[in-house]
Parts: sequence; C-alpha cells; structure tokens
Amino acid sequence: MSGIKTTITPHPMNQTNFSFIRKWILIGIALLFLGLFLFLPLVAVFTEALKKGLEVYYLSLVEKDALAAIKLTLITAAIAVPINTIFGVIAAWAITKFNFKGKNILITLIDLPFAISPVISGLIFVLLFGAHGVFGPLLAANDIKIVFAIPGIILATTFITFPFVARELIPVMQEQGTEEEQAALTLGANGWQLFFRVTLPNIKWGLLYGIILCNARAMGEFGAVSVVSGHIRGLTNTIPLHVEILYNEYNFSAAFAVASLLAILALVTLVIKSIVEWKSERSKVTV
Amino acid sequence: MSINIQDVSKSFGSFPAVNHVNLEIPTGEFVALLGPSGSGKTTLLRIIAGLEQVDYGTILFKGIDTTRKSVKERKVGFVFQHYALFKHMTIFDNIAFGLKVRPRKTRPSKEEIKSKVYELLKLVQLEELANRYPSQLSGGQRQRIALARALAVEPEVLLLDEPFGALDAKVRQELRHWLREIHQRLNITTVFVTHDQEEALEMADTVVVMNNGKIEQIGSPEEVYQQPVNAFVYSFLGRVNTFREGGIEGYVRPHEIKVSKILTGTTNVTSEVIHVHSVGAIIRIELKRQDTGELFEVEIDGEKLLEFGRLKKGDILYANLTNIKTYSNNYLTNRTFIKESFINKTQSIPFGN
Repeated sequence: MSGIKTTITPHPMNQTNFSFIRKWILIGIALLFLGLFLFLPLVAVFTEALKKGLEVYYLSLVEKDALAAIKLTLITAAIAVPINTIFGVIAAWAITKFNFKGKNILITLIDLPFAISPVISGLIFVLLFGAHGVFGPLLAANDIKIVFAIPGIILATTFITFPFVARELIPVMQEQGTEEEQAALTLGANGWQLFFRVTLPNIKWGLLYGIILCNARAMGEFGAVSVVSGHIRGLTNTIPLHVEILYNEYNFSAAFAVASLLAILALVTLVIKSIVEWKSERSKVTV
Repeated sequence: MSINIQDVSKSFGSFPAVNHVNLEIPTGEFVALLGPSGSGKTTLLRIIAGLEQVDYGTILFKGIDTTRKSVKERKVGFVFQHYALFKHMTIFDNIAFGLKVRPRKTRPSKEEIKSKVYELLKLVQLEELANRYPSQLSGGQRQRIALARALAVEPEVLLLDEPFGALDAKVRQELRHWLREIHQRLNITTVFVTHDQEEALEMADTVVVMNNGKIEQIGSPEEVYQQPVNAFVYSFLGRVNTFREGGIEGYVRPHEIKVSKILTGTTNVTSEVIHVHSVGAIIRIELKRQDTGELFEVEIDGEKLLEFGRLKKGDILYANLTNIKTYSNNYLTNRTFIKESFINKTQSIPFGN
C-alpha cells in the first residue's frame, strides 16, 4: 500500500529527503561545535606540548617543581576521593532509605558546592582558617597551618568534589528501594553483611561512576585551590596551578606539557566512564 | 510457634494504621489477614516480623515478650509481594544467603549449605534453575524461590505479604494449592496478607478480617462467610446487594435471592432484567427493582436458566427479597427489611414485551 502511494504522490519521498537533510545538518552542526570547542583545543594542547620535541616534553614533566605538583595533586585526590566516597554513600543511604525531617535541606546542602563559585568556596576556608579568620588565632597559637598549606588544598578540594558520589548514588538507590535490604534483614544479615552483600553490589556501577567523576574534578580543580594555595612553588602547587605559573612565565612548552597530563587524565576518565556505563547497562539488561 | 498480639497500635504520622489490635495465633495455624487496602493488615504483618516497631502494645512469641527484639532475633521467614530477590545473585546464592550470613560458629559447612539449598529447590520444584538469575525467571517461579529462601533459615513463623498479588490469575491459583501443600507438609505457623477474599477463604484455617486498623472478625472461613458479625464483613466477603430503606442499609447475597417468572406469595418484587452474564456455571442477572429503582444482582444455575427459557434485557422477573440482613451497632438485627408497601400487589403480569 505505501509503495503505491509513493509512486502516485511524490510528497512522502520529498519528506524523507527533507528529513534526511535535516538529520545531517543537525549532526553536522553538533560535530562542528564539538570539533571547534573540544577537539581542537585538545589537539592544540598536545601539539603545543610536543612542539619542541619529546625531550623538552619529558624534561618539563620530571622537573622538580612539576614532580612536586604532580605528587601534591595525587595526594590531594588520594585523600579527598575516599572521604567523599564514604560520605557520599552515607548521605545517599540516609536520603534514600530513611525518612526524616530536614531531608530536603540535606539534599540542597549536598548540591551547595555545585551552586557556588569555586573561588567563593576557597574564600570560605580563608575566612575560616586564615590568619584573620575565625579560627586563625587559635590555629596560629597551636602552630597549625591550614590555609596556604596542604590541609587547605585538601579541604577545598574535598568541599568542591563532595556532590559527585552522592549525586550519582541517590537516583540509583532510590530506584532500588528497600525491599532487598528488608529481605536480607529477615534472613538474619547484620549491618555490614547487608551493605557489602546486598546494597553495594546493586550500586557498584553508579558508585564507580561517581568516584571517577569525583577524581577527575579533584585533580583538575583550579579556582578554590588557587585561593587557598598561596602558590608556593614545589610546596603548595597542584598541577593546574603549576600550569598557570609556567604559562605566566611564557614557558609555553612546559605549561602545555604539564597541561597534557590533565588532558590525558580527562581522556582516561572518559574511557573508563564509557566502559562503566556500558557495563551497568548490560548488568541492567541481564540481571 | 504461637504468636500473641496484645493491644498493639501503630501510627504513621497522624494516621492510625493499626489500632489496639488483639490476636492469638496458635502453633501451626494457617492464618489470613484479610482486608481492603489501608486496613492495616500489612502493617500488622510487618509488626510481627519486626520490620515495623509498635507504638503501643506487646507481642509474644511462644509466650516470650518479643516486642523490642530485632528482625534478626525473631527468626521469621518473610515473603514480599514483589519477591525482593537479590538481583545480582544466582538462585542458588539467593537461597543460601540466610545460611551464609550466619556467624561462623553456627554457619553450616559449604556441603551442608549446598545440600540444604537443593533440598529446598526440590521442595519448590525448581531444581534446574539453581544457576539462573532472578531476571530470567517468571513471576511465579520468583515467588517460589522467595519462599525457598525464606524457608532456608528454618523459621518458626512464615509471614507472606500479598504473596500472589503480582501474579496472573492462573499462576495464582496454582500457587495457592502449592502453598497449602507446603504448609501441610512443614506444619509451620503461617500468616499471610491478602485483599482477595476468595484467596483467604480458600487457603486459610482462620480468617482475620480487618478494616481501618481494627479486627472486625476472627473465625474459620465458614464462620466469617456464613455468620459475618457486621455489615463490613458481610459486604467484604462476597458479592452483595445493598438496599436502602429509611436510612437503614440491608444486605443480601446474589445467590440468596430467589427469582421466578410468575408473581407468587414469596417472589413478589417486580424487577426488570438489565443484563445477563451467562458465562460459566453460575449465571448472573442484573435486575432493577421497579418500585424503588434500585439495581441488584441475582445468581442462578444453568438449570434454572433453562426453566426460564431465553432471558433478555427488559424481561420481568419477580424476586424474593425477604431474607435481607440488616446490622445495627454491629449486631445482626432480625427485622424484616421489606415493608408491606414495597411489595407488588398488582396482579397484571406484563409478559410478552
């Protein structure tokens, strides 16, 4: 029937032609945009980094201050990510499995770091722990340095990256409901068994996804860390801050070489993220 | 194990879900908690399991106060309406879960767990599914596995929350028989929640009818069906016709109304046929009283229908509405519901239209 129709009236044919063109125009625009704003900068980072040859690239990375920045970034992530993983799971658990007053306030609080500018987040810590801050005199009296030192950087990073794990887990856990946990309880499981044998396997992909995003942000955070760091070379510089310093000194090759590390981190994150998404989709279908 | 529920209350916010309930369940009984949604039956079951805490009252297991004991300590088997199987575990691991989470001292060996799981799979007749995942099973199979999982910990009480509610009619029918069989074989105290009166009457030894957080009646299926203590129980336990007269409601079951094609001394309320459902052994006829305009339903068997010949919409039948029951203050009142004025006295028989 439809075959006959198309031979009589050319209209449907035209329509498919039109939708074909429309489809490719839309795809073209999307690709052009991605190319201009994402792919081109990425290529630029690597070409700039390798402009003066592999040797300069390598030397820029193993230079003393660069290594210190990489080390500090790794330490920061190694502390901030586990903290946020644990608290993210606890917060998501509390929100999805229990009913209590002030639940909405808690959800809003979790989103707070997303809502405010990172620079303000950094400033909060300066105002709290800086020399003229609320706890400043107390800290100075006990010879504890937080702002312009590593603890400040870790605090700021933890604050900025707090929402990632909780935000990922809340929808996953909401979908799960509490019946499986109740069943485990009636079968005699204790709290730990309940979490590790029933809850965790159900949320593992969402959790991993949240951890990956949290880690990427922890390593790449600039604004908040910049405010609390003090930019002391070899001491309180993370990778993004080190890149800025090198760039401001017109040391472009070195700046881009170090920046390429963050770019590689981003690419690796994307690959892992895709794998995780693919796996979790599959586990949804088969299990 | 006997369960003794003494003056138990539970509210959610300002809503009293269970309101001063007393119930005694002897060892080995098969009890149905029957009621409409919101009647508190599921809450009561969850209170027995320890999944909800009571606001007031006491629960005794075997005469020992269990009110403040945790779910784990109560050692009950619980079956959920939506199965609640562990999605990421195989059927084998699902059933073995309760044994594997035991503390090392009381945990059976791997071989013992394996033989126990296969014994249970055999009981629920699904041995071949041990290595499958829950998502690969049908609803009926999942519920049988959920039961096997609950039985693995050898509970002394089995609690089932609308166990067949999510299943289609045919599977539900099969599982009812099967659950009764299992109860007979294991003789474990069993309490199940249902809103389906047929299910409750068919399966249970004792039916507990609940409404608005209170128990309306406790009795054998025959008792609650034949001698309902009040209007709610009467109308909840089967098809019922309601008639109103002077602010009083009267009830009568469709099969209790006699109808005839000719006016007699007893069948004397002129009624018009609205619809005839003639599928199955019982024929249902919807009728409209010509005096009050009230609609009601009668049930007759095929033989009676043959006697009537072909019935069609608009035909006139005469109904006997004398055994209508009325209740006041939850007591059956024996007054005759139909007043003289209602009774059709005209002798003109409007046949042939």
